[in-house]
Amino acid sequence: MGLFSKLFGKAEEINPNHIYAPMAGQAVALSEVPDPTFSEGLMGNGIAIQPTDGKVCAPFNGTVDMMFDTGHAVSLVSDSGIELLIHVGLETVGLNGAPFKVKVKSGDKVKKGQTLMEADLEAIKAAGLPTITPVLVCNCDDYPTFNATIGKAVSNADVVIEVAK
Amino acid sequence: MKEFKHVIADPLGMHARPAGMLVKAVAGYASKVTVTAPTGTADAKRLMALMRLAAKQGMELTVTVDGADEEKAAAELQAFLAANL
Repeated sequence: MGLFSKLFGKAEEINPNHIYAPMAGQAVALSEVPDPTFSEGLMGNGIAIQPTDGKVCAPFNGTVDMMFDTGHAVSLVSDSGIELLIHVGLETVGLNGAPFKVKVKSGDKVKKGQTLMEADLEAIKAAGLPTITPVLVCNCDDYPTFNATIGKAVSNADVVIEVAK
Repeated sequence: MKEFKHVIADPLGMHARPAGMLVKAVAGYASKVTVTAPTGTADAKRLMALMRLAAKQGMELTVTVDGADEEKAAAELQAFLAANL
């Protein structure tokens, strides 16, 4: 690909095995999530993000599988078949949608970087709930190779999980 | 094949936590477990499929259990749903 098409190309080329950080913040190990449903990995393998900004962006090119009507969680399937759950904060289902401004709906095609929702992190904290956000590959059994990035600050420009069949 | 029904009592419906707990419960059985809601049908071993049902409080789920350990699995899953959803 030439320099001009790189600079002005219409769609960003995405490695189909890469998952970018859906939120900006500190990437931490799933085991640091203070909720066994997530930290024991029974819902999938992944990481968690301690977010510094409430914007949740598409982590790859794919389809919104299920935007919960309470807005606190969204599942997506990448064009290559990765099933991902982003659960914004813990116990946030009980907030009934108030801190979540949803920008996409179930079935929508999304491009990496597209805003999925905006979470009001201060409102979540004010409700006494953690904002730590598990990011889980639900079909991790399909991917024997699973590399996660943890222990550093990340943004939507950074790959946080790399999988391979 | 065994079949039973469960009406969702959890005011929050089938959200991530009960769906995850159900996947974990079902993973221990050899039988194929299928959950049918008014909104669709899901393989209970697949978290994403269960969440996609968007099953709400008051909805009736029909659970079918088919396989070598269906007797035990159906009895235990019925108790599990009564306690957790």
